[in-house]
Amino acid sequence: MNESEVYEKVVGLIKPYAKNQDALSSISSESNILEDLEVNSARLVDIVLAFEDDFDIEVEDDDADAIITIGDAVKLICTKIG
Amino acid sequence: MNLQKAMSYCLLLILDPVVRALYYFHFRFSVNGGKTTLKDIREKYAEIRKAHPGPMLICTNHLTYIDSLIQAVILSSTWGYISHLSGLAWNLPERKNFYHKFIYRLICYLGRCIPVERGASPADARQVTNQMLYVLRKKGIISIFPEGKRSRDGLVDDKDFSYGVGQLLNEIPDASVLCVYMRGTKDGGFTHFPKKGESYYMDLSVYKPVSDLKGLRRARDISTQIISRLKEMETNYFGSNGGLAKVH
Repeated sequence: MNESEVYEKVVGLIKPYAKNQDALSSISSESNILEDLEVNSARLVDIVLAFEDDFDIEVEDDDADAIITIGDAVKLICTKIG
Repeated sequence: MNLQKAMSYCLLLILDPVVRALYYFHFRFSVNGGKTTLKDIREKYAEIRKAHPGPMLICTNHLTYIDSLIQAVILSSTWGYISHLSGLAWNLPERKNFYHKFIYRLICYLGRCIPVERGASPADARQVTNQMLYVLRKKGIISIFPEGKRSRDGLVDDKDFSYGVGQLLNEIPDASVLCVYMRGTKDGGFTHFPKKGESYYMDLSVYKPVSDLKGLRRARDISTQIISRLKEMETNYFGSNGGLAKVH
């Protein structure tokens, strides 16, 4: 799976949890998941667990804490899946 | 935090009667009569603390800004807190609601509060979590609202809730969990401040969540179990006698 495929999948997993639907139209790697997309912190946990399930990876707590933007998530996942 | 804890004890004799005066004479709150009295609840809480003297999370449903204060007044008398210092819980108010005026910040400080911020960055959230863990490692009590917010429809939200309580229990697995279901029996429900003359129903239940999962999945599982327990307690409240008629 290449980076753009990972990106598309990540966006798809985050979309249902985004309270700011307007921000989805201008979503990019730099989009801040909590602030721009207005995903709350509990739902961010759900998203990280969805990453684990869908990409068959394990995300440590510290790694999860480091996910601020969509790009952070894509980078982490790409590193994990090699 | 040790200084904050010491100051809250020292000023307990001043602050606590003020809170109780507001409770009884300004708001004219009371606990429902019926089968369970204020004395019964306090005895039960004292027994629970005696049986579970270590770290404890008091997990309560959340409907008004002052749930923590009402709960603290109901659970023990001033003398009860003075004679059993460990019974006084730390509280977790939302920063934006209580920290915009100096006097509120002072009261929160003396009232043993750790301010939390909804939507905080992971780093800020971690710092607050570390303060909570410090309290628990010192065998303290934290009063927490597992839903992570006040329930807008007046019922325990078992669909969209926080996993904070599970994350704390991941770190302090031997902490006891005391589920508390509390609501006004007259106008109980979502509101900023309860109406004067409100009468409170309170149910206490020690609960032991069990999970074979690890990490964030365990946090989610444990949080879900605690919310489910609160939901059961709510169902009991609204049970066969039609809710408001069924009082302790």
